[in-house]
Amino acid sequence: MKKVKYAAPILLLALLTTGISLAQAEKNKLSLGLGYYNENNRMQYLKATTKTKIEGKFTPAGGIRVRFYIGSEGPGNLLGAATTDDKGQGILYIPPNARAEWDKSPQQSFVAVTDSSQLYDAVTTSADLIKARIKLDTANDRKVIATLIEQKGSAWRPVGGVDMKIAVHRMGGDLNINEDPLFTTDSQGIVSADFKLLNLPGDSLGNLILVARIDDNDSYGSIITEKSVPWGTPTTYISGFNERSLFARRGRSPVWLEWIAYGIILGVWSVLFYLFFQIRKLKKLGV
Amino acid sequence: MEIAARQKIVDDLLPTKFGLRGRIWIAFLVIVCVIGVFGYGRQLSIGLEVTNMRDYASWGIYISNFVFFVAISLVGSLVTAVLRIVHFDWSTPLTRIAEIIAISAITFASIIIVVDMGRPDRFYNLFLHGRLQSPIIWDVVVITTYLFISLLLLYFPLLPDLHIMLKARKDAGKRRGGIYAFLGSFWKNTSQQIHISERSVRILSITIIPVAFAVHTVTSWLFATTYRPGWDSTNFGAYFIAGAFLVGAGAILVAMYVFRYAYKLEKYITVDHFDKMGKIVVMLALVYLYFNVNEFLVPAFKMKKTDADHLLGLFSGEFAAIFWFAITTSMFLPILILVTKWGRKPFPAFIAGVLVVVGSWFKRYVIVTPTLLHPFLPMHDVPESYKHYFPSWEEWAVAMGSLAGMLLIVTVFVRLFPIIPIQETITEIEEDEKG
Repeated sequence: MKKVKYAAPILLLALLTTGISLAQAEKNKLSLGLGYYNENNRMQYLKATTKTKIEGKFTPAGGIRVRFYIGSEGPGNLLGAATTDDKGQGILYIPPNARAEWDKSPQQSFVAVTDSSQLYDAVTTSADLIKARIKLDTANDRKVIATLIEQKGSAWRPVGGVDMKIAVHRMGGDLNINEDPLFTTDSQGIVSADFKLLNLPGDSLGNLILVARIDDNDSYGSIITEKSVPWGTPTTYISGFNERSLFARRGRSPVWLEWIAYGIILGVWSVLFYLFFQIRKLKKLGV
Repeated sequence: MEIAARQKIVDDLLPTKFGLRGRIWIAFLVIVCVIGVFGYGRQLSIGLEVTNMRDYASWGIYISNFVFFVAISLVGSLVTAVLRIVHFDWSTPLTRIAEIIAISAITFASIIIVVDMGRPDRFYNLFLHGRLQSPIIWDVVVITTYLFISLLLLYFPLLPDLHIMLKARKDAGKRRGGIYAFLGSFWKNTSQQIHISERSVRILSITIIPVAFAVHTVTSWLFATTYRPGWDSTNFGAYFIAGAFLVGAGAILVAMYVFRYAYKLEKYITVDHFDKMGKIVVMLALVYLYFNVNEFLVPAFKMKKTDADHLLGLFSGEFAAIFWFAITTSMFLPILILVTKWGRKPFPAFIAGVLVVVGSWFKRYVIVTPTLLHPFLPMHDVPESYKHYFPSWEEWAVAMGSLAGMLLIVTVFVRLFPIIPIQETITEIEEDEKG
């Protein structure tokens, strides 16, 4: 009877221990995102984003190595690898040796794969895209004209019905050029917008950077095109750094103040030298 | 004074060989120093990376230690100059203790600042290209000046004692005898020599006071000329000087007790000395408490957003334990102990002195590091380790090694020279007898 009495708690403890061990062995689920970016129709890169759920919230997972493939996963299609940073982002610029594969078709697929680790299982994701570009032009009366074209066969055709943002680069973000935050391309793939910002500080020549962008589009990925226009106010940056304190810079401190300081130091050290001289005198007296 | 009585004083006050406890103490200090040198060696070969100082907490316990050393060095001017000028003759047995503490502390203040440099091999540039407009140069100038004045203030009153030692200790050994002869064989105790020496000491006693004030004011300005929460104060000079006098006086209490006990100096460092120094410490602790109330209560009353993060971190946040420990041990407890007559007896006064010194070390840490971890702009996109600071073992080793080095200088000094001025003691007794 006694054995039965102790057997139940021991069994319960064993079950609990096993349960805890199993729970500890269970890996976190890793979420892997893949995006394609085209900047100024020149620089193209892939960005992998890794996240995991911690206490019910998606949190960036850093330090995850991601391999990128063009077309399909396979040793011959490997573009390279990147490790995600603290924000859970890893970037790989598409290398020149992938050009032959890239030129094969107007449509392209990319695959991202993470390795299996103690924390996470291996995850694979892919992104399909149609190659597209934005052409950015300006016309009289500060009109901005952006045209979205996609590759079809060997030709480039306009694309309508796609949301596009037209803005001007400012420090720390983009500023809308008029009251419309977003535009949609017409059947000719064109967006036309008036630049309504007056007296916007530009560089020393008054140049501003216009930007037309499509963000995270299902078919085209993210496309960003920039153009410099002389529509700003010429601005020369004058640093106030050296004005920030009264005397802290050579040449700014008044001569009288420097002489007072040197005078005090000289005065005190004269006393010290006088006393050193007194020691010599004491020595002579003792000889 | 009778020759026998005079000889008794000389015999009582001449330096003696270390016993077993003295040797163990020296060995302990040497070991701590060696560990510190090893830690610094690692820092030199690997770089400041071995410390836990990062972009924000770029001043850690090295600079806290520097401020502590500068503070404790102020004791030299307090005892040898201030008390001498106001004719507090009872302080005579304490003058040499105060001066050697001052010299050893200011020496290690200079060393620890070089230790804090990432490229100590470029130290000479400070002298070649230093600008008088920079608070760093102010510090270099005043610390160097203060060191020389302190050395002279130690040396002049030592001359008659060197004469006594050369006469009394023919068996001092070649090496020690050589040191005494090199330093003071020319002293013949002539009236002209005595006159020059006394005059020099008077000049030094006056000169050292503004220089000592400058040393600690300039150290405070290293902080106050930087626009940061907790440092942006016009009060900092006076606040630092008050704190420095307090820690210096606390250190004197500790040293008085240790030397009295170790060398059986009860006749020379009397209960009355503890009573008087105890009263001075109470006064200094109250003054420092007043400055602390100013430094913390006024900004806390306003609680500006930028100050609030820093102040709340001290009052009830990450640094609360260390902040309240420092305030309690460096001010409240010593006041409570020393305000009573019983508390000013040697042992309780020694305990109060230890509390002041330990609390004051932590107080310097509280002044230096929490401010750096509360910048005006929030910390973004930095590794978690940048947001907190706890010294690495190398930092602890170097900091403790420097403290041990300071104590080693004091210990070696008392082995070589009398810690209580012999000639001054004899002269004072003779003058008392004359009435």
